[in-house]
Amino acid sequence: MDTTFDTIYKCEKVFCNHTINLSECGWLDPWTMGLICLKAVEYSAEKDRSIVLPKDIRMISYLKRMHLPTFLKELAYDQFLDPFDKKDISEKENFNIHEIVHCNFRDEFDGRLSSKIRPMFIGFNLKSDEERLATGLVAELGNNVFDHNAGFWPTDFSGAIIIAQHNPIKKQIEVAVADAGVGFMGSLRASRPDLKTHTDAILLGLSGTSGRIGENRGNGLKTIQDWTINKFNGIVRIHSGDGLVVVDKNGQKTSDVFPILGTLASFMLKY
Amino acid sequence: MTIQMSKFNTVLNGRPAAKEAILRIFQIVNGSIEKENVILDFSDVEILTPSYADELLRELKKKYNNKVEVINTSSMAADTMKAISD
Repeated sequence: MDTTFDTIYKCEKVFCNHTINLSECGWLDPWTMGLICLKAVEYSAEKDRSIVLPKDIRMISYLKRMHLPTFLKELAYDQFLDPFDKKDISEKENFNIHEIVHCNFRDEFDGRLSSKIRPMFIGFNLKSDEERLATGLVAELGNNVFDHNAGFWPTDFSGAIIIAQHNPIKKQIEVAVADAGVGFMGSLRASRPDLKTHTDAILLGLSGTSGRIGENRGNGLKTIQDWTINKFNGIVRIHSGDGLVVVDKNGQKTSDVFPILGTLASFMLKY
Repeated sequence: MTIQMSKFNTVLNGRPAAKEAILRIFQIVNGSIEKENVILDFSDVEILTPSYADELLRELKKKYNNKVEVINTSSMAADTMKAISD
């Protein structure tokens, strides 16, 4: 069964009792991969943490192509990763699936915009102008990760996690940027202590309000919405804490979902 | 005084990088004998993000009383300029 944005919030078994259970998962979109990465960070300090991998060898190849085992080794999940060691893959097997890019620090992120993210969009066959705009979108999402969490990470795990896939049949590209940081509520509460829900915090952030008191900033998310929707007829999604907001040309939709550590934001481009 | 922005980088991203560029531009302009506008030439700049552009222009306009001109923006950089002016 494909496990995507449309289904993951209905799958109660995937994240349960400090276990990430991928046994029944099929194709995973960048959004779901982002949730898996954030849950792996959240569970990493738990003694009873575990990961159940899919039995299907094609899924093992697929997850290895995304460098999931490399990411999980950073979090000391080594004992659950044997199936990956038994499977050799070709990195050139599928250019439409990009490996997880974890940038611990801002300088690393800046460097990888040129060395990894731009070539990725070129590999996805975006035209030059589109590639530059799409890279700009990743840049703004990544900047937010460091602007709002530097010096304030809730755990020892820091940085931006970038996951991307291209679906050439649907002519869609989705890029998710995840961080195990303070989230919208943690960032905005300093300037707006009256905030009550994570959804309210996301909506406030999307309107251009920044948690960086006394500084003239906060337009990054407005531009992300504008470019994604008006230049790519796309969709912006943000999950922070237990709030979820989806923005497209029809407006904003909100819902309450299971909580995560930090923030997961994505943009879907249609071309 | 014309500043070739591509000499900072062809990918201009983020407020910290813009703050560093501002300090450098202050030095370059202060050392110039010209008393004309500060012209920011974006030719060969491939990516300009809104956060970089916002930080750069806000501070330079504050310092040079709005005598700051932007030229040779690519399509992407023009979109960024529009985004920060909206």
